[in-house]
Amino acid sequence: MPSVLKAQDVHFAYTRVPVLEHVSFDVQAGDYVGIIGPNGGGKTTLLKVILGLEKGSGDIALFGTPLAQFKDWQKIGYLAQKSPVSQSRFPISAEEVVLMGLSHQLGSGVSVSELKQVHEAMQKTRTRQYAGTIFHDLSIGQQQRVLLARAIVSNPEVLILDEPSTALDAQSREMFFDLLGELNKQQGVTILLITHDTGEVGKHISKFMYVDKTVVFFGTKREFCHSEAVAKQLGPFAQHTIDHLHNHHGHCPLGENCAQCGHHHAYSVEGNHA
Amino acid sequence: MLEFLSYGFVQRGLIAGSLVAAACALLGVFLVLKRLSLIGDGMSHVCLTGVAVALLTSTSPVYMSVPIVMAASAGILKITEKFKIYGDAAIGIVSAVGLSVGLLITALAGGFNTDLLGYLFGSILTVSASETILCAVLLLIVLVGLKLFYRYLVSACFDEPFAHTRAVPVQTVNLILVMITSVAVVLAFKVVGIFLISAMLIIPPVAALLISRTFKQVLWLASLFGVVSVWAGIYLSFVFNIPSGATIILVNLAILLGAFMWSKCYVR
Repeated sequence: MPSVLKAQDVHFAYTRVPVLEHVSFDVQAGDYVGIIGPNGGGKTTLLKVILGLEKGSGDIALFGTPLAQFKDWQKIGYLAQKSPVSQSRFPISAEEVVLMGLSHQLGSGVSVSELKQVHEAMQKTRTRQYAGTIFHDLSIGQQQRVLLARAIVSNPEVLILDEPSTALDAQSREMFFDLLGELNKQQGVTILLITHDTGEVGKHISKFMYVDKTVVFFGTKREFCHSEAVAKQLGPFAQHTIDHLHNHHGHCPLGENCAQCGHHHAYSVEGNHA
Repeated sequence: MLEFLSYGFVQRGLIAGSLVAAACALLGVFLVLKRLSLIGDGMSHVCLTGVAVALLTSTSPVYMSVPIVMAASAGILKITEKFKIYGDAAIGIVSAVGLSVGLLITALAGGFNTDLLGYLFGSILTVSASETILCAVLLLIVLVGLKLFYRYLVSACFDEPFAHTRAVPVQTVNLILVMITSVAVVLAFKVVGIFLISAMLIIPPVAALLISRTFKQVLWLASLFGVVSVWAGIYLSFVFNIPSGATIILVNLAILLGAFMWSKCYVR
């Protein structure tokens, strides 16, 4: 599989406090990467550096092109952690928000083909009924689905998502992750997803990346469960829980020991086995 | 009742005032949404430096102020980006420096005089023909810029990080926006005075944002409110013999209150 995103010895610091150090990895086309790690571990910063929103040192290449020379941004879809609208009222419809995901043309007109793309993306995220509604008037969960439509409207080859499910209810979350899984499996879209919700999303993810200032681990789920580096960070029990959640469909190989984690196997990437 | 329209200086004042008010309102919509509302206030204080230098060197305050205010605006953006401090703090710093330098120059030149007071409180009825043409050119630039870069501007205002990922040159868009605003501010100090310029950039957009359902509606209503406030302000100041600049701003305030009540009754 060709490389779509390669980072080599990337560093980043806010003023003098290092946030990322010696970060190297290679994401290949079709990967579905779950990025996990502790709060303040640099996950969001890493995505920002990849997208050129923060300037780090080291080498980043998107589709083989160095980041500084990369122009084909239509190939990348992005969904941030926070909704862009705060208290102030920005009178713009959900449809217009999705339109922002397409390349920006001169002028204020919108072509028929652009509108068609917008409606298709809204259909996929089940937000078509909000097309004419002012974005600000939607609930946070509905806004997040509209923003997902904006991220996928250009039919990107790579989707970069930063904890997109935090504001979603259980039903929307399932729809959300099913859609991402579908995009990955049926259309081959490469996905990088920061999440703390490993239980829900885990069934779709093909690889884990554990980030804590550096890439502690990057590999398949099975490799994750047997990695010594991860064991040092999380402890073998937590590793095993993830393995259990994703591969054993409720039949815990730990047997009685698993009574500690309850029936729903809540798990936090900080290493707490709750 | 319309007798005041027969005076040439009033006609020029109305035309120049309307052109500047519309330009300020249109630019103000983006500044308000980008939380840069107070940049007009900062720029207006820097205008004092331009005016003081112009009075000291006997040159045109308008032409002298334009480059100085532009440099200060670029400074505000640079401070915000480079030192990662809040925009309002950067505006406060540049504003204070602009005001201090202006006051120092004025003191060195021998103190305040009538000309300077005219700039502080506005003298719309002394707008020259060349300044009126400049106002028309400004509005034309704003309208053409809006027409061409509408989608870039809206995207950069709505969600700057995402706009970056769509290859929108956000920093360039911001720079152009504040550069054009600099010219608008300099032209507006003749209309309402240095102390009140920021109100022309803020109040009409805020009123329009309260009651509009679409972004284009915001732009239309903001410019309409700006123009109406200039006409009503000049008329009232003529009838009651009161300062035109302050009257224009109070009319703006009345429009804002009306919009607020409308929004409470009819807008969700």
